[in-house]
Amino acid sequence: MDVANVNLAGLAPNKPAERQKTMKRSARKVTLSSVIAAAPLLILLIGFLAVPLSYIVWGSFEGTKLNFSHYARVFASATNLNILLHTLRVGLIVTVVSIILGYPVAYLLTKVRSLPLSVLSIFILIPLFTAFLIRTYAWMIILGREGIINNALIWLGVITAPLQLLNTTFAVVVGMTHVFVPMAIFTMYSAMAQIDHAYAHAAQILGAKPVQAFLRVYLPMTLPGVFSAGILIFISAIGFYITPALLGGPSDTMISQMIVDQMTTLLNFELGYASSIVLLLVIIAILFVASLFIPLEMIWSSASSSSDQEPRAAARLLKRAKRALGPAVSAIEGVAHAATGQLLTKNAGWLWAYTVAILIFLTAPLIVVVILSFSSSPFVVFPPPGLSLQWWRKLANATDWHQSFLFSIQLGIAAAFIATIIGTMGAFWLVRTKFMFKKALFLFSLSPLMVPVVIIATSLYVFEARIKMLGTFSGLVIGHVLLSVPYVIVVMSAALRNFDTSLEPAAAVHGARPLQVLRLVTLPILKPTLLTAGLLAFLTSFDELLVGIFLLGRQTPTLPIKFWADIKYQIDPLLSAASTLIVVLVTASIITVQLIRMRHEKRTTAGTAD
Amino acid sequence: MSTSLEMKNIQKFYGPLHVVKDFDLHIQPGEFVTFLGPSGSGKTTALKMIAGFETPTSGDIFLGSRSIVDLPAYDRGIGMVFQNYALFPHMTVSENVAFPLTVRKAARKDAEDKVAKALSLVKMEQYKGRYPNQLSGGQQQRVALARAIVFNPSILLMDEPLGALDRNLREHMKVEIMRIQKDLNMTVVFVTHDQDEALTMSDRIAVINEGSLVQVDDSKSLYNRPRSRFVASFLGESNMIPCRVDEAQNGSAKVTLAGAASGAAQLSGQINGDQGWLFVRPERVEINLSSEPAAVTNSLDGVVESALFLGEMTRYLIRCGNETITVKRQNRGQLHFAGGTPVKVSWKAEDCVVLQ
Repeated sequence: MDVANVNLAGLAPNKPAERQKTMKRSARKVTLSSVIAAAPLLILLIGFLAVPLSYIVWGSFEGTKLNFSHYARVFASATNLNILLHTLRVGLIVTVVSIILGYPVAYLLTKVRSLPLSVLSIFILIPLFTAFLIRTYAWMIILGREGIINNALIWLGVITAPLQLLNTTFAVVVGMTHVFVPMAIFTMYSAMAQIDHAYAHAAQILGAKPVQAFLRVYLPMTLPGVFSAGILIFISAIGFYITPALLGGPSDTMISQMIVDQMTTLLNFELGYASSIVLLLVIIAILFVASLFIPLEMIWSSASSSSDQEPRAAARLLKRAKRALGPAVSAIEGVAHAATGQLLTKNAGWLWAYTVAILIFLTAPLIVVVILSFSSSPFVVFPPPGLSLQWWRKLANATDWHQSFLFSIQLGIAAAFIATIIGTMGAFWLVRTKFMFKKALFLFSLSPLMVPVVIIATSLYVFEARIKMLGTFSGLVIGHVLLSVPYVIVVMSAALRNFDTSLEPAAAVHGARPLQVLRLVTLPILKPTLLTAGLLAFLTSFDELLVGIFLLGRQTPTLPIKFWADIKYQIDPLLSAASTLIVVLVTASIITVQLIRMRHEKRTTAGTAD
Repeated sequence: MSTSLEMKNIQKFYGPLHVVKDFDLHIQPGEFVTFLGPSGSGKTTALKMIAGFETPTSGDIFLGSRSIVDLPAYDRGIGMVFQNYALFPHMTVSENVAFPLTVRKAARKDAEDKVAKALSLVKMEQYKGRYPNQLSGGQQQRVALARAIVFNPSILLMDEPLGALDRNLREHMKVEIMRIQKDLNMTVVFVTHDQDEALTMSDRIAVINEGSLVQVDDSKSLYNRPRSRFVASFLGESNMIPCRVDEAQNGSAKVTLAGAASGAAQLSGQINGDQGWLFVRPERVEINLSSEPAAVTNSLDGVVESALFLGEMTRYLIRCGNETITVKRQNRGQLHFAGGTPVKVSWKAEDCVVLQ
């Protein structure tokens, strides 16, 4: 039957040679396309992040002079050292508070059905995507001398004279916590959503009390997610600029403010460089320690973490310590069970109450801003003495605001467009091609998220001044592209990893050429993800302050810069009207994209109708 | 448009791993050939090389008279049904089916006709406006089949297409696929690890193990005349009794069974003195009470170890010394043997073969 069993000896020697030629040709094609996909990303990251950073490093010891005295000054001067320590302390407090406040909410999100889930997440998403500036402004209104809290306390007769709430460390912690709680909730939720609640049920049926089931089974499984949320928040918090600058007092200066001051007002560049490098080294050290416990890429994209990995060395060490503490843990569990026995059973009513309280904490400041925009008073007083549209009328006539708004939109669209293209190509390259050090390169592509914005801003400032790009539109766009490309990469690579791998071969075998596959199959399926990535990039640019301040030059101020200048000059309800408008626009765009996504997903998610 | 497919001395290495070895196979136009093998045997790799997703390390593949190894997948003109169907989630049923025509820039009217014809062939006309996720598994399967045949491919590849369907649907789809194959007279290469699918549907089955073609034959010969222990045990149930060839003669021989009893069997190339395994299917073995004389050449004495009632048949395990013989008997009201009964099992010389 096997007709082909004829002797092919004559053909055999030259055939494989021919084959090798074709394979080589196709291999070259693959390398070529991956070079094309990788090039823009690598050029961006090396040319506008690594090289400018090296300028800063070089400048910090005055190049060939090897003058390290600036580093000494960072540590020797009590003021500078205090700023550094204060920064770390505030970062730590904010991190711990945000995690503790966010954990129960994230836990509840894993338990609810899809409709309440989407309602809850809208209430968390809107604060998450509201500009830091607007949220900080809201806290200025709430905590001010004539703010809600003081007025309420006086009205209640608790105090007679207004308390000093604004310009304190307390205000900074509250403002930053407000910024980071939504981030904590979403980061922890995305890790927790992958944990099956059946584990806790299994523990209970095996005899664990609810407290034990939670502490011994559920909580340990969520720890990597909690830990990565903590790292994410901490490294963002210690690079924070807006909130401490506006809500803190003189003794609340954080390191970013110090760097900005050195670079802009004191013009002590070398000290600024040295402080930047110190901040960067602190972050590198934290990330290094973190990498002993969890895979670093998990911090930014929990989807890429794999649970079947060997526990890391440090994690094993932790386990041993835990075993030693066993008896103490059991005793605590006993007490906790006695105390919470009622709470942890069945009805999670208290969890809902708590979640609603957190949501009020998150959204109330925005509502205050909205109400204030209709104030009839010329001052920021809350509650407003009467309602009027005067501030809206004023906003409608404020041409400087209109120009800033239009300029920010232009800038956002340009940055989002370029970032989406570069990031998507980069994500294809990172996910689809096989090469060594892939994880390291993935982390490298996320590095603009690790380097504090203030350092990116100052290093680009120095670098762009050197290459005569400072103050140009393209210089500004590049800065914003750099900041938003990592988000595009995170979103796109998650989508590409979940992409059904048989669809492209199916298209190819039925006659589609590579470009047709891309145009007819791959991109249309990724369309909603591309939209999300683009929106994220746009919002990143639209909210961005520091890079803008440094790179703007003589161009029209962007909306955040305009806002920043006004807030420092005088706070009046006009800012509320502007904020309200921005919040409404941002919310509308989030909801629109969400709706498009939902419609697309409803049609296309895998799963059958039977 | 049926075409022959020929695989000539195909080898595939993944690094040092030899995953496909010495593949030589000629598939006739209009023939339905199944690649059957356990998972990891290399059957899917072989299929991927035909489709163009993998390049053979050496060897050649001909579609008709044309060598296709150097052609990219999209120029091969092959239809394929994927294991998870791989329907494009963002296209409707008719857009999915039209896809092979769209990318070939077929004329609109012509394409519409062909899509309608393909959909009616798989009885899915009324679903043409739906999206894949609005269809059941069986319906998705039909659409995937329509998409694969709409452009009159020279050959149709199917990669475990029935694996995701439930039992009843699977039986139904088997018949449907066979009907469509016959209607269009298509050359089909079908990959499965399910022996029932292979036995029912195929003109010929290529049994693959550890990267090699072990035996290529039609269902009946493969089942009744396996050429190796692997094929005998992979396809259906079988008894393997150690034996020695005593007097070989014209392809059959007198043998010694399990070191003691004497019997007779067909040979598969052994000579006198060879050790081997005597292969006999459970349904070819008779059971009688020990007291009755044996009617045929091969017989062993034993005790009923267990009797499993399976509805249409009873499955006995008979312990004969160190060997356990499986026997399947149709339940037609004959004598039932309870556990512990001393019995004699026997089978005809022409129903058993000595395998290496």
